[in-house]
Amino acid sequence: MRNVYIVSASMIKVDRYFNKSYKELVLDALTKILDEGSVEHIDYTVVSTLLSDSILHQLDLSTVLTQHLGLNPIPSLRVETGESSGLTAIELGYSLIASGKADSVLVVGVEKLTEYPTNIINENYSKILDYEIETIRNISPPDYAALIMKEYMKRYRIKREELTIWPIKMHDNASRNPYAQLRFRVDRDKVLNSITIAEPIKLLDAFPVGDGSAIILLGSERTLRRSNSECMKVTYITSSTSQPIYLRDDILEFTALRKTFKTLQEGSRLDLEEALLEIHDSYSIYAYLILEELGIAPRGKAPNTVDKLNNVNLSGGLKARGHPFGATGIYQVAEAYSILSDRGLGELKYNGKYGLIHSMSGPDYNSRLCLIEKVM
Amino acid sequence: MRYSIPIFWRNKYSYYRLELTKCKKCGKVAFFRRSICPYCRSREVEVITSKGIGKVVTYTVSYFRGSTNLESYPRIIALIELSEGVKVIGELSDVKLEDIKEGMEVEAVLRRYSSDDPYGLIYYGIKFIPRVKK
Repeated sequence: MRNVYIVSASMIKVDRYFNKSYKELVLDALTKILDEGSVEHIDYTVVSTLLSDSILHQLDLSTVLTQHLGLNPIPSLRVETGESSGLTAIELGYSLIASGKADSVLVVGVEKLTEYPTNIINENYSKILDYEIETIRNISPPDYAALIMKEYMKRYRIKREELTIWPIKMHDNASRNPYAQLRFRVDRDKVLNSITIAEPIKLLDAFPVGDGSAIILLGSERTLRRSNSECMKVTYITSSTSQPIYLRDDILEFTALRKTFKTLQEGSRLDLEEALLEIHDSYSIYAYLILEELGIAPRGKAPNTVDKLNNVNLSGGLKARGHPFGATGIYQVAEAYSILSDRGLGELKYNGKYGLIHSMSGPDYNSRLCLIEKVM
Repeated sequence: MRYSIPIFWRNKYSYYRLELTKCKKCGKVAFFRRSICPYCRSREVEVITSKGIGKVVTYTVSYFRGSTNLESYPRIIALIELSEGVKVIGELSDVKLEDIKEGMEVEAVLRRYSSDDPYGLIYYGIKFIPRVKK
């Protein structure tokens, strides 16, 4: 297997862009990479988007995008694995380079959710679950998050207000991230008094709806030699799937993440305490479960450790940076890359060697982990 | 047309009854009609119809708005353990919010899911109501 590197990363602020199409969002994100001149050597474009079929009415979006941006004849394809599509695109780009099929892969994430009112987005977003068994029976992703949160509170005797610590911290982190959608602080009362999505989940426990585009340029060692920007190695990337909620023995266990993390630990030497982490906190309860599944906190104790964590979701997470579905995994990698780099991301900087990015779909229906490493 | 008619027609026994799949190899039972065991991948499975009696393991009152599911709002979504020992996910109906409790006995009934108002199709399926003791 050949080594794979992040050669460049670029993104736009997650926001509501009523006046721009998805093509313009990608172009805005691509401008930096075009200016660097790296586009001349791209062998493949991998595009990640979740709802392009239903919301943008666009099939084969990757080809249309390639045509619009004048990237043709570069081959392109689109990937979709629910909410984790972005990290899957990076996994695929990684594989293309590692296998020798390509030397340079442009990985584009884009989602345009403001084309329709939120209830239509919600309806389509719910299709990440099993349509014939779950979605058609009116089950939606936050319903599952609510069932899990209730069970967590009951089993570990945790009060509702104790679980506000995650969104408070994420909003605080996002206020320092120039690309975050929700750059304002919240307190306990604001979280508890926000509207209910699915009891006990409040609006401020959940990700906001927004548009976004983020891009990663991956390259082989050969590409690295041509690059003037700071490069980081993609050391490991792996993923797993799990059972639906109703087939699980314990709904507080994220077995796909557990399997993925075990594989990653066997394949790499990683000290989580020294790594910068980006985790998939679509609902705040998931952040606690992920921290526990990664061994950062004992079972039922994650809320007590959040205050001391200075290496997790410095971006503000899905909670406050935002979650433009297909682009999210690429945002996470772009942010980790930027925060670890010498230049930092705005005022965000982290003095460490490793970045670990976690992305999943639904309640861990699939989970992916990507480990990046500074090579200087 | 809100939903595909072939999907409803094809799944009529699973949507209008409560069907489970029992694996002849590993013995596990899983919700819904299936041709392969989701636990051990054996294709020696039999479809059984649940008695439709169970207990609420946990539930949520959901205000999440999707455009097709406004008929029952808010929706009460529950994880239910059936007397066959298998868990299903479903909607509670015909119950006041203050009367719902974890552990309460429920039974499966046929209820309206949605309709193509004003002149279209009506879609039915299984929901759960508090158990009526006979």
